[in-house]
Amino acid sequence: MALALSDAGPAAGAEDAPAPAITVSGVDVCFGEGGNRFQALSNVSLDIADGSFVTILGPSGCGKSTLLRAIADLVPTAKGSIEVHGKTPHDARRDRNFSFVFQDATLLPWRSAIDNVRLPLEVGGGGDAHGDPEGLLELVGLKGREKALPDELSGGMRQRVAIARALVTKPKILLMDEPFGALDEITRDKLNEELLRIWQETGTTILFVTHSIPEAAFLGQQVLMLAAHPGRVKEFMDVDLPHPRRLTVRDTLEFVQITAHLRQQLEEC
Amino acid sequence: MAEASYAQAQTASAPRAVRIFEFLNRKGPAIVAVIGLVVLWQGVVWGFEVPTYIAPGPMDVLRAFQENAGTLWSNFWPTFMEALLGFAAGNLVAILLAVLFVHSRTAENAFYPIAVFINTIPIIAVAPILVLIFGNGLAPKIIIAGLICFFPTLVNMVRGLKAVSPATLELMRVLSASDWEAFWKVRIQSSLPFLFAALKIASTTCVIGAIVAEWIGSNFGLGALIIEATYNFRSPLLYATVFLAALLAVLLFSLVSFAEARLIRWKTPAVH
Repeated sequence: MALALSDAGPAAGAEDAPAPAITVSGVDVCFGEGGNRFQALSNVSLDIADGSFVTILGPSGCGKSTLLRAIADLVPTAKGSIEVHGKTPHDARRDRNFSFVFQDATLLPWRSAIDNVRLPLEVGGGGDAHGDPEGLLELVGLKGREKALPDELSGGMRQRVAIARALVTKPKILLMDEPFGALDEITRDKLNEELLRIWQETGTTILFVTHSIPEAAFLGQQVLMLAAHPGRVKEFMDVDLPHPRRLTVRDTLEFVQITAHLRQQLEEC
Repeated sequence: MAEASYAQAQTASAPRAVRIFEFLNRKGPAIVAVIGLVVLWQGVVWGFEVPTYIAPGPMDVLRAFQENAGTLWSNFWPTFMEALLGFAAGNLVAILLAVLFVHSRTAENAFYPIAVFINTIPIIAVAPILVLIFGNGLAPKIIIAGLICFFPTLVNMVRGLKAVSPATLELMRVLSASDWEAFWKVRIQSSLPFLFAALKIASTTCVIGAIVAEWIGSNFGLGALIIEATYNFRSPLLYATVFLAALLAVLLFSLVSFAEARLIRWKTPAVH
């Protein structure tokens, strides 16, 4: 199966230096008005390299979801700028440069799995790049369940459908907001491993919010640690573990050292 | 050859027997209860020697069905049409208004109180007014049947159209879906369970509306027949007419339930 999901069009390959997929510079995000004004993010700056897998970790209230939502044009920024492949988040959203996976699978209950995957092709102009819904359901391990309604699928399977739906527009970037947060640990481990496989097969840039230290370390090439009140960048560290990673990597000394470091950092937040 | 077909008949009839048994198991208590009540009814009428014009027994009612088949039938159709057209018109207006309300806060603020006010006027008080305006034809009956359907559907439809989870609306936003697409692909679909809850209510109340309208001033329809039979002490005919009206409501209710089962195949959250 040919899955050229990172296919960026004719111009992208010709560029010389690897331009970052996402550039965030000096971003503030505030909620509320007047006395209830609450600063969710303060002066956040970072570059996300094209094709990388970055996990965002931080204590609750650190604005990790808010950062992801600001990049996705779901919350407005008060200050600073965000560029997604050189475009504003609004234009990038319109051009279907990124997809978003929510914590809840948000499948439409009256649509079968395959019809849920097809939804992005039916709305918003459908985008230019049409993925192959059947192939994507196979990619996420749901071959044979195309006709199943969301009610008939387990929580893990529903989230797989949501991932296939996110990939159907062939996005350059996948924004994932605690997508496995509501799943049991066994299902979560399995999906973590499969997500890495999908990332390697598709070459999509993935930005993945989580509150699980092992998940952040296992998935990310880099871990972005945010501190709370107000949300700001605490550390942006590389995870030096070889790819492809298997779940057993979590039993190695290197992995334990990384998670220990992250835990320590998290306590200081 | 004969043996083979006998064996086939056996295997074919075995599941059918099982099915009949299961059906009786499920519906048996209801059937027994109904038969019991009818027998009790007949027993009371005989036992206490109740005159037929005060309370006819089931046998009298059955005979009335037989003797007045033509009258009942010719009066069934107008009521059926009024109820059906009223059902269609009342619900259509309610649905369209609900769509307008969901899209325009101003419209909702302007018209919702009026809708509530109209709903508070007893239908029996509105009926003469409409008969005065529209005369003795079908129109006032259809309007009254529609009016009685209107409010529950409006309220439920507004709720249904708004019952979309914020996460789903965010998804539509990420997908750059237009308002129209979000409406058509998400809101309409997720309102269906709410809509059908209202349509089930409307399917029985529209018959009530049509009959009440026929009481006010009409020389046709089941409502008129009820009045006529009452005034002439033709109690068996009165009972037969009432049963026919109830059957009409059951028929409409079944049609709505059938449509619901066909259209809503997913498990729905509690709606009522």
